[in-house]
Amino acid sequence: MDNAILIGLSRQSAMMRQMSVIANNIANMNTSGYKSQSMLFDEYVMPVASEASPDKSLSFVQDLGQFRNVADGAIQTTGNPLDVAITGEGFFKVQTAQGVRYTRDGHFQLDGSGQLVTQEGNPVLSDSGSPITFGADEGEITIARDGTITTSRPGTANSEQVRGKLGITTFANLQDMKSEENNLLSTTQTESPVQSVRVVQGSIEASNVKPIVEMTNMMTVQRSYESAQKLIEAADDMRRQAISQIAAAA
Amino acid sequence: MQALSIAATGMMAQQLNVEVISNNIANMSTTGFKKQRAEFQDLLYQNLRRVGTNSSDTGTVVPSGVQIGLGVKTGSVYRIMNQGDMDNTGNKLDVAIQGRGFFRVQLPSGEDAYTRAGNFSLSATGQIVTSDGYTVQPGITVPSDATDITISKDGQVQATMPGQTTAQVVGQLELATFPNDAGLDPQGDNLFLETAASGSPSVATPGSTGVGTLLQGFLETSNVNAVTEISSLITAQRAYEMNSKVITAADEMMSVTSNLK
Repeated sequence: MDNAILIGLSRQSAMMRQMSVIANNIANMNTSGYKSQSMLFDEYVMPVASEASPDKSLSFVQDLGQFRNVADGAIQTTGNPLDVAITGEGFFKVQTAQGVRYTRDGHFQLDGSGQLVTQEGNPVLSDSGSPITFGADEGEITIARDGTITTSRPGTANSEQVRGKLGITTFANLQDMKSEENNLLSTTQTESPVQSVRVVQGSIEASNVKPIVEMTNMMTVQRSYESAQKLIEAADDMRRQAISQIAAAA
Repeated sequence: MQALSIAATGMMAQQLNVEVISNNIANMSTTGFKKQRAEFQDLLYQNLRRVGTNSSDTGTVVPSGVQIGLGVKTGSVYRIMNQGDMDNTGNKLDVAIQGRGFFRVQLPSGEDAYTRAGNFSLSATGQIVTSDGYTVQPGITVPSDATDITISKDGQVQATMPGQTTAQVVGQLELATFPNDAGLDPQGDNLFLETAASGSPSVATPGSTGVGTLLQGFLETSNVNAVTEISSLITAQRAYEMNSKVITAADEMMSVTSNLK
């Protein structure tokens, strides 16, 4: 008898989690480089329903994992020369206190000492794995399609100078990456080079959350939650009737 | 129910986004104004099933765990320091900067502030001052009987005196550059202060290596682009609405539960 209620409950708690994931996607609709996430559910089969009916099995729902949609987000032009968007595969490398982290959020800036840093002030790494520092008199910073950084001193002829290349890397399994706060991802996989790096200067990769998809998912979750509720209510009604009828018979 | 608080962080972020955009639009005609942009980041993640942990004794590994993100926060509201357009005013004491650099202005407190707004005037004593009356550094005094003032590309201020054929040099304007312009602290009145993030200023004559040049009779307009701002405003408003829908939906789910009994 309790089984119906417990199955309904397993569905409801799964729906609650999915709702949290959808809410997080919608909250991050305008977060640069954010990748939308969706839940993966699985059937958990209990072989024996009860002692009374040993040949019947019960299936509960459980949340198996999460899927990160790694599709590119839209490229949004900001006009800031230190905003860089990656089109296609690849992640920027960022040195944090906890080790190297990866991000698609290419909103960089210079700190007081002229070092290229993220919003948190963590240095952005070059392809040789070292931070990139500019001198105070280096004016125009140009980032080419392949991530090569060139600077020039305005007012001086032939002052263009190559200052290295942005470190851009990818991984064999993009699902096996852990989301951390501040748009960073971490993984224990080894870095593999990106065949053809394509970056766009003066732009930022917008979040790839599709509002319509999220809104419809939200409606589905809400209605599924209600239907699970009906299941629980029906089971509860049956029990109530059973109690009153058996009591009347006795 | 986490969805409620997650959506609330989303609404707060979009509200701030609208505030930043409205400030940009409000300053669309402010001389030397540099537009701002709000940049968002995801919040902490709760690990319900940690990615990469063993899922059996034989060493199989969970390929993608269950991580519930807890919403969004504002990473930074940064200033886009690119060049504004040049507006021809014809005023002798309007000076626009082409390229990098800020005018250095002395505040009444004695501190130095920095500005891109070159709409200067003369004070009662003939000093070049900003529209608020603060002295432009280094103090330059124009003789009261000067008939004309010329400011050259590299900042030399020359005054033509009555009865003289050659103009006389009365001072030299200077520009300050910072390693990180976006790190300056805005004070209102088009003024900025130096911070640890901006780095310390290096003062040079206009036109020297890495420093912009001056243009007399022009003002630098704000670099706000109306089309971009309005489209960002629409995006922000819709995102705000969608977050509020999540709150409604989460609320209805809770009401379903509370009606169970």
